[in-house]
Amino acid sequence: MSPVLGIAGYVLREAASRKFIMAFMVGLTLVLAVVALGMRIDVIDGALAASRLFGQEVRATIQSVDVALRPVYQASAFIVFYGGILFGIVACSDFAPSLMSPGRIEHLLALPIQRWHLLAGTFLGVMTLALGGTLYGTTGLVLIFGVKTGYWTVGPLVAGLMACVGFAAVYAVMLTMATLVRSAALCAAAGFAVLVGGIIAGHRQDIAKAFEEGVSRSLFQAVTLVLPRLSALAEAAGDMAASLPLEVRSLGTLLVGVFVFGLGALVVGFWRFEGKDY
Amino acid sequence: MEKRQKRRVWLVMAALLFVAAAVLMFAGQGEEPAPPPLEVEFPRRMRQPDRERAERRRTQVLPTPVSADSGTVAERPRPRDPLLAALPRGEGKTAVIIEANALRHSPIGGLLMDCLMRDGGKQLKEFREKSGVDPLQDLDRLVITDEGMMLSGNFENARFKELLGERVSADYGEGARVYEAGENSVTRPDGTTVKRRDTSAIATWNNQLLVVGKSPDEVKAAIDRVEGRGPDEPPAISESSTYGEMYGVLSVEMLSRLIPPEQAALAQRLRDVAKNVELHLDASSDVALVAEVRGPSADDVTDLGKSLGAALSLARIKAQAGEDKDLAQLLDFAKVKPDGDSFTLEMAVPLEVIRERLAICRENRQDAEAALEAKEAPREAGVEQAPVPVR
Repeated sequence: MSPVLGIAGYVLREAASRKFIMAFMVGLTLVLAVVALGMRIDVIDGALAASRLFGQEVRATIQSVDVALRPVYQASAFIVFYGGILFGIVACSDFAPSLMSPGRIEHLLALPIQRWHLLAGTFLGVMTLALGGTLYGTTGLVLIFGVKTGYWTVGPLVAGLMACVGFAAVYAVMLTMATLVRSAALCAAAGFAVLVGGIIAGHRQDIAKAFEEGVSRSLFQAVTLVLPRLSALAEAAGDMAASLPLEVRSLGTLLVGVFVFGLGALVVGFWRFEGKDY
Repeated sequence: MEKRQKRRVWLVMAALLFVAAAVLMFAGQGEEPAPPPLEVEFPRRMRQPDRERAERRRTQVLPTPVSADSGTVAERPRPRDPLLAALPRGEGKTAVIIEANALRHSPIGGLLMDCLMRDGGKQLKEFREKSGVDPLQDLDRLVITDEGMMLSGNFENARFKELLGERVSADYGEGARVYEAGENSVTRPDGTTVKRRDTSAIATWNNQLLVVGKSPDEVKAAIDRVEGRGPDEPPAISESSTYGEMYGVLSVEMLSRLIPPEQAALAQRLRDVAKNVELHLDASSDVALVAEVRGPSADDVTDLGKSLGAALSLARIKAQAGEDKDLAQLLDFAKVKPDGDSFTLEMAVPLEVIRERLAICRENRQDAEAALEAKEAPREAGVEQAPVPVR
């Protein structure tokens, strides 16, 4: 396990040296600071009576604070989920290709580690990065609204963790793509393709109705059966963040399913990496 | 060779993982379509069906007034709704209209009917036979006012004389008959009858309106308003406010009496700050209520709105803590919208919650109907088997 952790640490150091990841963290901090300093919320006996952003009234309805914050948390969950995955695709697309670049890969392969350790370590490093960023953002949001309204919920945190599981499935495909073609652009394209496929897969029942009954519909259903159901997971994350009843039958099973898809994609990467000559 | 075997293991493992993922995601998400999100439509303004309904009700045409000085004929008055014309005039009056017919045909109406007919419809049948009025068919609207009650509908078959026989009656105005206070015979359960003095007065107008009041003067005043002899002030409810299945204005006095004693401070505050409250209840799908509270001071009204919002929020927290899921769900939709010298309170009860609560009524009705059928079946069988008389 330690070689995997070693590679993960290497990836994290690499990330820390990149300016735009640091800029992202600074930007996230700034957004949280702006929300914290610019927003004024009046809560009377658990009811949100008024809220102002930079002195401008943004909400005139008086209602229970948790009900009033539902759309805020739900929107945050969607932003964290889709925004996080999109940022992750762009920010992490060249980690694996650069690790496998000529000169560097030979050095890494000379280390006393197995080949799959390299991929697993890269995956772990990137996931640690995603988890850190998500937890930082969602914890900040929960703290700000918790202190300002007195309403505390772990919903947005759980939603953030669910977003990380979604990103794990996407990044595993990107990593596998890097073993096929050493190109950051193609890795990012593969990530986008999985994201779009995942959104479609989450709504496969509704979309399937648009296909004529027969081969085309069956084919669509067969393909989307295997794809990670990202939109279903995102909606569940939104419901979780807003403390609303879940629409999915079993969230745990869905989460494990999406994660297992990621592992499957990663194992394909192991298979390909093991047989590749450098 | 070893490397190739190892690679094959990875490939098999990947295939197994993909299959497992597909099964897990299929089971986790479920293939049945998700139920639509719970949304309630609040009655905030007149909709097209409400406008059409109001239009249909403009059936009364008052005679064109003639100027006494010049003898010129004034502009022909617009047709109007006689029930709205009969409503009390002026501010601070209570008039709440219940659209009995619309309510009867709404989803909640069906549930309420089950509760009303828990005896299998026996009492309703008796009333129908005695009065000649079928409340389910003939009654259109019911109005509750400070002075009494008004009913509108089709009362052509009503047997008022039999029902109100011992009262003194006299024609009044152009199309009304007023039944003044008198004695009523009431049959006791043991079969004996007693005479009771009833001080209320009743008036009928063109077999369309039935006005029940505390005194003959009150019902005559209502008839005067219908026939155009009332004050010039607008009625308590304007036509543009006739939307929903229940609507009207409540005097602050009456509303504060409806607030439970433990909220006495809130009731007093309402009395001090508000002038009147306009209500609209929609029962076309879920039951949604909108109440607009108006008062002379914008600041005081806003503060009252905040207090009310806080009280509702507290009640919701208590309901959640006490695991009263239904009440918490009801208060989920509760919100107060301040708007200058008025604020709007919105509350809703999802139909499913009411259906669950009233399920017992349906069971009782079905049992009672089954019992009635069982009782009547042998009687009918007996009639069929009776020997044909020989001539």
